[in-house]
Amino acid sequence: MLVMAFDSSRTVAASRNQQCGNSVQQSLKLSRLLQRESVDLIKTYKASQGEMSELFCKVSVNNVPDPNISGLEPSEKIASIYTHLQEFFPHFKWVYEQQTDLQLPTSPLLSDLRRFSAGSRNLANLINNFYQSLFPNVPLPEGGPTTLPPPQNIFQQKVYGCVVLKTFKELLSNVSRELRSLKSQVCRRSTHTNTLF
Amino acid sequence: MFSSRNYSVSTEGTHAQVDFVDSYPHHMNLEVWVEAHNKLGKIESERITQDANSFLKTNPPSDIKVISEKGFPTSLLMLWTHPIEKYYGKLIYEIRFCAIGSPNWTYVSTATDIQSFRLQSLQPYTEYITQKLAQAKEENLDMHQTTQYLEIGSNFKATCMIINTTEVTADDLYWILSETTVSKELYTKLNESAISVTIPITSVQSEWLFCRAKEKSSYVVLNAGKFMYGVLLKKGYPPGKPENVSCVAVQEKTVISSTFSCEWATVGGQTSDVPTKYTLNQSELQCSTEGTHAQVDFVDTYPHYMNLEVWVEAHNKLGKIESERITQDANSQKNPPSDIKVISEKDFPTSPLMNWTQPIEKYYGKLIYEIRFCAIGSPNWTYVPKEDTATDIQSFRLQSLQPYTEYITQVRCQLGYWSEWSDNTTTKTAEDRPTSKPDVWRTIAEVDGKNERRVLFISKDPVFANGRIITFDIKIQEQKNDSLQWDRILVNGSESSDGQRVITVLKDMLLADLRPVRLYITATNSVGKSPMASLLISAKGQVPPVKGLKVWSAEGKLWLKWTPPTVQMCPSMLWSGSVGIRPIGRGKTKTPGSLPLKGFVRYTVSVYSIYSGQIGKPASKEAYLKEGAPLEGPVVRLNDKPGRNQAELGWVEIPLHRRRGFIINYTINYTGGGETHEITVPGNTTSYTLKSLSSNTKYDTWINASTVRGSAQSSTHSFTTLKYAPGEVESIVVGVSLGFLFVVLMTMLLCVYKKDAETPKENCLSGISVLDVDVCDGKILFEEDKACLPLKKDKYLSEEHSSGIGGSSCMSSPRQSVSDSDEGSDMADTTASTVQYSSVVASNGYKGQTPNPHPQQAVFSRSESTQPLLDSEENPDMMIQEGSRQSQRFKQQNPAEIHLLEMDQQQQQQQQQEEGWSLDFCPLEEESEQMNPSEVNMIQNVSSHHSRCLCYCVLQRPLVEGSFVIRSATHNAFQSLSSFGNSRNNLHG
Repeated sequence: MLVMAFDSSRTVAASRNQQCGNSVQQSLKLSRLLQRESVDLIKTYKASQGEMSELFCKVSVNNVPDPNISGLEPSEKIASIYTHLQEFFPHFKWVYEQQTDLQLPTSPLLSDLRRFSAGSRNLANLINNFYQSLFPNVPLPEGGPTTLPPPQNIFQQKVYGCVVLKTFKELLSNVSRELRSLKSQVCRRSTHTNTLF
Repeated sequence: MFSSRNYSVSTEGTHAQVDFVDSYPHHMNLEVWVEAHNKLGKIESERITQDANSFLKTNPPSDIKVISEKGFPTSLLMLWTHPIEKYYGKLIYEIRFCAIGSPNWTYVSTATDIQSFRLQSLQPYTEYITQKLAQAKEENLDMHQTTQYLEIGSNFKATCMIINTTEVTADDLYWILSETTVSKELYTKLNESAISVTIPITSVQSEWLFCRAKEKSSYVVLNAGKFMYGVLLKKGYPPGKPENVSCVAVQEKTVISSTFSCEWATVGGQTSDVPTKYTLNQSELQCSTEGTHAQVDFVDTYPHYMNLEVWVEAHNKLGKIESERITQDANSQKNPPSDIKVISEKDFPTSPLMNWTQPIEKYYGKLIYEIRFCAIGSPNWTYVPKEDTATDIQSFRLQSLQPYTEYITQVRCQLGYWSEWSDNTTTKTAEDRPTSKPDVWRTIAEVDGKNERRVLFISKDPVFANGRIITFDIKIQEQKNDSLQWDRILVNGSESSDGQRVITVLKDMLLADLRPVRLYITATNSVGKSPMASLLISAKGQVPPVKGLKVWSAEGKLWLKWTPPTVQMCPSMLWSGSVGIRPIGRGKTKTPGSLPLKGFVRYTVSVYSIYSGQIGKPASKEAYLKEGAPLEGPVVRLNDKPGRNQAELGWVEIPLHRRRGFIINYTINYTGGGETHEITVPGNTTSYTLKSLSSNTKYDTWINASTVRGSAQSSTHSFTTLKYAPGEVESIVVGVSLGFLFVVLMTMLLCVYKKDAETPKENCLSGISVLDVDVCDGKILFEEDKACLPLKKDKYLSEEHSSGIGGSSCMSSPRQSVSDSDEGSDMADTTASTVQYSSVVASNGYKGQTPNPHPQQAVFSRSESTQPLLDSEENPDMMIQEGSRQSQRFKQQNPAEIHLLEMDQQQQQQQQQEEGWSLDFCPLEEESEQMNPSEVNMIQNVSSHHSRCLCYCVLQRPLVEGSFVIRSATHNAFQSLSSFGNSRNNLHG
């Protein structure tokens, strides 16, 4: 019976380790892709805003989520990534609605925003899977309430959108870095643990 | 009705439900039972078999209105709406009501399909509560029509029950399938009110199955609809499990499309009655189709790096089944790489460099590439090993290519799926020095009268020329120690457009038969020289051919067999006509040809023995790969005029391309006088003389040419044999004449003797005197003959004179020429442009003798004249052959021969004089003075039965403008006489 238990546990551990590696790898790849797409999206955004578009992105705006990942433990870091991503979605939606009023329906910016937003949601799902694969019995913390900016004029809308995108790009950069770190930390450690077991 | 389908569901409780596929089985017989089972066993409940509609529970009637009518204070009118269409069954209703506050309901049952009812015996002015219950109820055998979907290959069991009637029993029921009564043997009587039938489902077509009752009473007849039940049987196959599900998302511009397309393979068949639908499932996305491919659209973006689970569900009326589920990273198909450039570098003639642009950002995934290339015109691609290009590269150096060759290159990439191949990129590699020897050839022709050969050296560019050949350097060495200079031959070479190697003529030289030489040659392009090739021309006659060459066809090939010459033979070559050359291995003495030969074509096969640097004489044989019957027969003709009893047939060989085999024999068939004869002659014969023919008979003849595979018949040629043999009539006449002459002479001799014996008589003596004068006075006789010659001013209409057109003959046609002219010069003036000369030559006419019993055989050789033709010319049939013969004879007479003939005839004259014949020369005195000094000597042998004088007439005729053009009856004769005229002209020029 002991032998059987040993075999069974090892199989599960190996499977979980592989799943961990896949999840973090996929998350990492997608974050890089989104990071690359965010560059193009910001270019498209600037090109769509008319004159002084460079100026819009240099203005600071309140109520935009923090791009920095917090937490010391892997679980905290992953949860922080997830909640930060979640925090941005209402802002994407808000920016999209604002730009829908400002752009023609055929504007490539709108389709790019939609695609980018959907890709970001996919990344959040992957992070969720990654977290669940590591901590199956620990629920992800809910994100805090989202504070959207008050009614804005057109200039403020343009500035706001650019800041959101730039901040999210920064978040993606941080996410990629953290995921690389987590990949080596978590998945390798779990392999070690399983071997010991 | 009973459905053969089974449904089961397990539960631990005391109730369960099953879900029928798509629809409730109305009017089907349902057999229901419950099985209790645990680890210790199982047991079934009683089985309930009922019509499915007996299980129906409808909604209660709706829109119920109760109307209080003034005229009916104790009645209330109730109105309602059926809860379900009446087609599901006949509804019966139950109504209950009670006064408000009363604890008891009063029930009213209504047995008919009504939608209104009047409650009765109520208390006036009292509030009532009414409720209505609806129940579906089956008719006896109602005319309901339902549809049942059945699996082909299964058995369908149907049960017909009689309900609520005693008019018929189970014995009165019968089944009709597709308007045909089902055999009673297939019925099963369940009880007095139910029978069942089992029908195998085989065909695809849908069918109606009816249960009907015999019309045994008027009630049944009047209510036929109630005693009939029908069901439409639709047939099909249960869905097959979809296989080979594959999905792809393609690149659009710089991103991946959010459209996700999948395709799959269907399994099993389907019918039009039971079509199968497929639903593509991707997590929450679905798309249904009846085909084998579908696509779903992801919201906004393609789910890069997300795990996708994809499966296809096939479903129809007979069930549903899912494919295997695909769970993997989202694949996508990228565009092929773009902007492909292949750079040909001078320093790397075999290794051009490829560059390209990746089709999509690397963030979408790691791309791997595959490269293939081929030389233009080559049907096969060469693939670069994948391991060399399985990295994220954008350039690659191809290797081991041929220099100076155009290549097509293509690239594709993979990220999930392989992209399409890129468009062709064509590049020519750089030049390199030739890496193979030029191919050098020679032809040798004999030179007449000299012990030399004419040798022509030619060369083909090297196979691996690796560039455009600019020059050939050659050196011809007679001995090993010769150190000759190299000759440079420039090639004004345009490259061959059809890919064939260019052939260059190197040198044309005369070579002594016993002088061997060796040619050395190199080819040069812009980069460098080729390796040196050499060719030895050995002394003539030193190298023997192979012996005993045999050629035969077998197994669709030409086989060769030979005996090697005594000298050790090196690899030899097979040359087959103009088809090609095939080398044969050293020491082989038998080999099949592998060249693309055709049947029915005559090939000349030659085997050359190749010695060390020398080529032996060829041994050649003709052969067919496959023989057939000739496509046409030979052309038959007569070689000469038919005789009285024989005719010489000749025929022309069938053209080679129509012969299709070796002619082994000819079969000559001829028919005449009702008899058919057949003669076979060898295949190398082209003429045959038919003998023992009947005179004056028409013969038809034809020839069959035969090969080993069959024969072909010529067209029929007809001829008629002569009534008399040539000379036969003449012999008779001469014989009779001689006989007559003999009699006259004898008579005269008798007279002489008698005169000697008695007194001579004047009459006889005068006759002898005339004869003496004729015989002895040749001069006088010649004067007379001369007077008969043409071209006289007195228009002497001699029967022997010429046509007068210009030429003349002592033995002319007995007819007068219409073109006689008094003045030779006038004639020349008037006909100088078109008329030069014409001659009429009689071969053996008798001077002054008319009529001639036979047509005189004469030839008319005539210039191109506008003058009317002679009668003889107008009837060439009479003269043509003999005339030709005459012409030939004249043609062969050159001046020297003529003089010989003259001498011979002088001798003959002398001989005749010795024999007592008058033999005179007839000098032209007066007449000759009027002739042109330029003479044409013609010799005429004239004999007359009057004088028996042999005359040699020498005529001198002027040549008009120095030419001598004579038109004859035949072309050959024209040529011959022209030659003759020229000879004469030369003779007297």
